[in-house]
Amino acid sequence: MGHISHNNFREPLILGEKSYHDVTVDICAPIERKPNMLWASLLSLAAIIAVWGIGNILYLLGTGIGSWGLNNTVDWAWDITNFVWWVGIGHAGTLISAVLLLFRQRWRMAINRSAEAMTIFAVVMAATFPAIHAGRYWLLYFVFPLPNQFGSLWQNFNSPLLWDVFAISTYFSVSLVFWYIGLIPDFATIRDRIKSPTAKRVYSLLAFGWSGRAKHWHRFEMVSLILAGLATPLVFSVHSIVSMDFATSVIPGWHTTIFPPYFVAGAVFSGFAMVLTLMLIMRKVYKLEAYITRGHVEMMNIIIIVTGSLVGVAYLTELFVAWYSGVEYESYAFLNRATGPYWWAYWSMMTCNVISPQLFWIKKLRTNLIFTFIISIFVNIGMWFERFVIIVTSLHRGHLPSTWSYFYPTFVDIGVYIGTIGIFFVLFLLYAKYFPVLPIAEVKTILKATAEKFKVSDNQPKK
Amino acid sequence: MQFIFNNKIKAVLAVLMLLGVVSSVFAFLDHASHGQRFWSNFLIDGFFVFSLGLGALFFLALQYATEAAWSVLLKRVFEATALFIPVGAVLIIIALLSGTLHLSHTYHWMLEGIMQKGHENYDAIIAGKAGYLNQPFFWLRTLVYLGTFIAFVYIFRKRSLLEEVASYKGSVKLSAIFLVLFGVFSSTLSWDWIMSIDTHWFSTLFGWYVFAGFWCSALIFMLVLTVALKMQGLLPNVNDSHIHDLSKWVFALSFLWSYVWFAQFMLIWYSDIPEEVTYYQERFGHYKVLMLGVFAVNFILPMILLMSRDAKRNYTRIIWVSSIIFVGHWLDVFLMITPGTLHEKGQVSFVEIGMFLGFVALFVWVVLQNLSKAPLEIQNHPFKEESEHHHF
Amino acid sequence: MKKETIIYAFYNDDDVLLKDAQAFVSQGLWVSDVFSPFPIHGLDPIIGVKESKLGYAAFAYGLIGLTLALLGMWYFMIHDWPMNIGGKPNFEFVYNLPAFVPVAFEFTVLCTAHGLAFTYFCANGTFPGVKADNPDPRTTDDLFAMEIKLEDNPNFSLDQIKSMLSKSNASEIREKQNCETDTCCNK
Repeated sequence: MGHISHNNFREPLILGEKSYHDVTVDICAPIERKPNMLWASLLSLAAIIAVWGIGNILYLLGTGIGSWGLNNTVDWAWDITNFVWWVGIGHAGTLISAVLLLFRQRWRMAINRSAEAMTIFAVVMAATFPAIHAGRYWLLYFVFPLPNQFGSLWQNFNSPLLWDVFAISTYFSVSLVFWYIGLIPDFATIRDRIKSPTAKRVYSLLAFGWSGRAKHWHRFEMVSLILAGLATPLVFSVHSIVSMDFATSVIPGWHTTIFPPYFVAGAVFSGFAMVLTLMLIMRKVYKLEAYITRGHVEMMNIIIIVTGSLVGVAYLTELFVAWYSGVEYESYAFLNRATGPYWWAYWSMMTCNVISPQLFWIKKLRTNLIFTFIISIFVNIGMWFERFVIIVTSLHRGHLPSTWSYFYPTFVDIGVYIGTIGIFFVLFLLYAKYFPVLPIAEVKTILKATAEKFKVSDNQPKK
Repeated sequence: MQFIFNNKIKAVLAVLMLLGVVSSVFAFLDHASHGQRFWSNFLIDGFFVFSLGLGALFFLALQYATEAAWSVLLKRVFEATALFIPVGAVLIIIALLSGTLHLSHTYHWMLEGIMQKGHENYDAIIAGKAGYLNQPFFWLRTLVYLGTFIAFVYIFRKRSLLEEVASYKGSVKLSAIFLVLFGVFSSTLSWDWIMSIDTHWFSTLFGWYVFAGFWCSALIFMLVLTVALKMQGLLPNVNDSHIHDLSKWVFALSFLWSYVWFAQFMLIWYSDIPEEVTYYQERFGHYKVLMLGVFAVNFILPMILLMSRDAKRNYTRIIWVSSIIFVGHWLDVFLMITPGTLHEKGQVSFVEIGMFLGFVALFVWVVLQNLSKAPLEIQNHPFKEESEHHHF
Repeated sequence: MKKETIIYAFYNDDDVLLKDAQAFVSQGLWVSDVFSPFPIHGLDPIIGVKESKLGYAAFAYGLIGLTLALLGMWYFMIHDWPMNIGGKPNFEFVYNLPAFVPVAFEFTVLCTAHGLAFTYFCANGTFPGVKADNPDPRTTDDLFAMEIKLEDNPNFSLDQIKSMLSKSNASEIREKQNCETDTCCNK
């Protein structure tokens, strides 16, 4: 990339005067110091919610899916809504690392590590839902084509649900490998700094004996690039396949061809919202203001506008084509969404997803951190409603009026959902304490070119 | 450095355009179709070359909006391609007028009495679409799209020729407005001009599918043009990394197009409902080899031959692979329009190829003319230096 | 481990190291490796790091994955137990192909990514439990070390190399002996 003389037009990505050593110290600081009260209390709170959620899951497994509020008409509701919501959130990490690499956006380096961590934890949460709603969970291994004694009965590879199994497991494991390969050099940095012998042993193990040789760095960059290239179509395919769970059917409101790219746009949208929610807290608590600047937040907000608008265009396209098609079932499904018994869900979705991000057109608002935080929460909620609207409103009116029904969640529905948020935050807080939250090595590669002022290290041996 | 549009190139293009005219006459005189063959091909080729300009304009605006630095040195190439839009707009208007004046039967819904109850041509489903598919509204939309695009292409060009930092900053703001309008218009124009040919049929993805196609074709054209200029020794500051990035765009957009093509096809194939599946039955019934061939060529060829780093910098390979998929994307447009207008009678023969070459020659002529009107090198731009140091 | 003498030259700045490496190589001194806290761009061609073949390996893993996925689905759905599910009969592979594309794609990516990662770890020799061999703990922080082996440079004596390095911009020079066994090593 070469070193570029400083350009007044571009805002610096790293504020203040930083040396390479300062980057190491700043990012390792939370790992090296004792956990503070704020972190401990947040972790306790998350853990309580997580334990409650696990209790609910155990109750569900013991009692059966009848403890959910499903009925004969609405036979898929919060379970699959939560699944799609979590998978969607899990799309930002890979997008930031892979797609922004293609666009040569260097600001991604401040957020990619945490976004990828979030991706992995979100996908774990997502995978929980199909696993627990499979009913006979002790037969769960049967989603994989293993030789079996049932007269060699195989899975149905024509089924989008089986495609999902492959998509989610591939996405999870590939994201994990991608993330871990990037973490190894940073673990080596911690290993070479940390004082406590136990921690040193653990980080030595995690660092895989990395010593930063030129040959290794060469391969490292090559592997990162290839994995980014693979992850880009992967991230598109995963949410497309999730959308096909609905779109391959013939249910009005589910079957529409725009679903795959529109789900991808929606996933990126919700993923960035969650990244914003988490990063805005993290930059404050960890004092990372020099690395995650207002400029970074603004960039993310622009992506929120773009993806939010894409989702908006898709909503309107669906609505328009439902009318244009002249198919009465299709037209009714959409009319019913907007004006039927679930109007409140539809308009919550519209307000949160389409209208609220448009406020970011105003520069003052998109550079305001508190406002951004509020909108990010709005989007998180809106994207949950989007999936709820798609799934429940399309189901709650059968073809016969006798099958018309309404869905009421039970305490188990709510408990399992809230519980996964608790588990997610436990994982994320543990990550934030013990892992480098910014890619140390990568940030150093752009330090000279993009920092406000580069400082020569003062941590050097004397000649 | 200036590009000189010399007589040798002009002569070649003139011969091709003449070929286009001769082919047009043959198409018009085709007895079996009563001139429809000519009008179908006019729309196919007219839309194809227009959309190349539109794709370039979109890409130019995208570079502004993302404040991309690498592409600054290639700005003139993008602008010259986008400046075809005014000419393309005329072609689109002629093609659409043929429907309104009942010279052609391209648009089923423009048929006399089709929305009139009691008329022998009455079609209830099409009549249900009258709120959107009616002549005044249709023309209003068409003129708004074309007017918007023409206005933006001239504004961007004018501001770019000023070579000022302040004008660049303004273009960044304008590009955001353009992208919003484009986001809506790119979908609706594909519904209006193409999807409404098969009036009964509908697909929510159609707009993005057409968009993915022309975005890719525009990048293919601009890549080849850049490589050709580079081989002539023009664009001295453009290095292999720039070419690599353009090739990467072609590679990525080929993937995007294939993804959208497959998503639309697979979902309709899978759910197999009569309202939708007729579209593919028509196409796989009469145009099976072309359908599968186009998908295979546009997907597999760039995927295998433009995957490696070296391939993305190999000028010869870039040119021949690009040429093939360029034709592939033209055939894609052909398959969007022909089955709905000529049904089983459509074919790709000398007439179609001749008209295609004629339109492309006209397009290239206009682009090169515009290219020769401004110096190729950028004088003053906040990212000029960054673009010159683009190495990886 | 065969006996060898290694000289490390430490630098404070990547650009200075890059300049010196260029100078040493042009004088015929062979730099065997560089330890750095991040990849130094432009260094690889100077010290002769060969273009990695990992891309070809990835392509091969991808092909294996694709073949396995298609073969598997053909066997499960078409050959071993064809069924008529929801009007989508599994009697012919080609007519079922659109439904096989998603899994084929996912499995290709799965095999490529994991095969590539494994090959990468093998090529680097980095695994859990392996000991790191960077000459100074700070080379993962902000120190850059050039590694020069005496045995690689038969045209130079130890003192010649040392004097070359001391005249350069290196901030510190260290010498290390590697012997037949680890125990006799000294700084």
